[in-house]
Amino acid sequence: MDSGTLGIIFDAMPMLIEGVKLTVIYSIAAIIPATIVGLIFALLKLSSLGFLRRIGEVYVHVFRGLPLLVVIFYIYFAVPHVLPMHAWFGDSYRFIAAIIALTLNEGAYITEIIRAGILSIDHGQTEAAYSIGMNKFQAMRFIILPQAFKRMIPPLMNQFIQTIKDTSLLSAISVAELTRQGQIYISTSFAALQIWTAVAIMYLIVILSLTAISTKLERRWQIDKR
Amino acid sequence: MISVRNITKKFGHLTVLTDVSLEVAPQEVVVIIGPSGSGKSTFLRCLNGLEKVTKGEIFINNVEITHSKTNLSKVRKEVGMVFQRFNLFQHLTALQNITIGPVEVLKLSKKEAEDRAYALLEKVGLKDKAHSYPDQLSGGQQQRVAIARALAMNPIVMLFDEPTSALDPEMVGEVLAVMKDLAKEGMTMLVVTHEMGFAREVGDRVLFMDEGRIVEEGKPSELFGNPKEERTKLFLSKIL
Repeated sequence: MDSGTLGIIFDAMPMLIEGVKLTVIYSIAAIIPATIVGLIFALLKLSSLGFLRRIGEVYVHVFRGLPLLVVIFYIYFAVPHVLPMHAWFGDSYRFIAAIIALTLNEGAYITEIIRAGILSIDHGQTEAAYSIGMNKFQAMRFIILPQAFKRMIPPLMNQFIQTIKDTSLLSAISVAELTRQGQIYISTSFAALQIWTAVAIMYLIVILSLTAISTKLERRWQIDKR
Repeated sequence: MISVRNITKKFGHLTVLTDVSLEVAPQEVVVIIGPSGSGKSTFLRCLNGLEKVTKGEIFINNVEITHSKTNLSKVRKEVGMVFQRFNLFQHLTALQNITIGPVEVLKLSKKEAEDRAYALLEKVGLKDKAHSYPDQLSGGQQQRVAIARALAMNPIVMLFDEPTSALDPEMVGEVLAVMKDLAKEGMTMLVVTHEMGFAREVGDRVLFMDEGRIVEEGKPSELFGNPKEERTKLFLSKIL
């Protein structure tokens, strides 16, 4: 790259940083509800009631089976034909649709991560909890989930990283996140090599900082608590 | 105190318990012996609802626990259970293992629960291990914490499911000693065990189970000294 390269990147930087901000905001806004959705459907899939298990299974099958881009298009373009989303939410429907699509998709994977974590805990722990008079909810809350959660951290981190990368698909509905900002800048400057390099590096920075935080958390929880 | 009336338990097509009945009086110590696969553990697990009986009724303090409307959690508060593999909560210290039931189930204050827990740890000889995690304790120590955990709920009866079977030989004694003390204090106990010395010394009554039935029962001196059934004789000749 010549000296003009730095100039171009420098020039594009304010836009790209705006993009990073949105990438981070959308990621966080999706990861939190996706984790809650995942926990709920994991518990449904582990229920002793057949119809609740069915609901959980259908959810996972459907949203693990659909390409995320199709879900994004479906919610952003198809659903408004049935429900007056734009009248209800105006411009913010873009954000809402994006978060719903990401949540449904990531939630399906998180469901399986949480379910596997819960199943990995020895059944004797549940029996011991029952034997001191705990009900199902208390056994889950105080005995099973705290132990399962530690085992879930590595696969959950994978999924959170996946979520950050998946926000790039939101460029298809013109969410001005990092990928979209890169596209916009290139459409007028034609500096594809420089900008995509800068975009790639910025994704890595975001994801590697998350990895660093998670490694730290994992280490701390392993020392203090078992 | 405990009244078991004609219970049958099937796992699919396999019948594990056939028409078993038993009456246990307050403060009685009943020891259950028998070959593995005879249904002793399943029988014990039916008594606090960890296994559901296929047929028959079980009453504990006049509450029918086999009734579908009975709140099992409520019953289990009063029925302590000690497992072969201890099943201490791995993420909690010995102290927390003992306090979590009283705090979350009995709604005691943290202070009350801890006072009770320290007293129990002292009783089982582990006051200095209050802040150790289960994987920092030996098997015998873990089982004594597990006994303290069950006692913290102030149960009216204690069930022991082969409490010493997973222990190294030199740790068996410390656990049995705690159980002997409990029996002396008048705790009602049902103990599934292979420790014949314990059965002889502490048991008020010994049941011999085989193939899902109570084959013979009696005072330890009678059952060990003068067994009537051939099956009992054969079993005792192999283990004594």
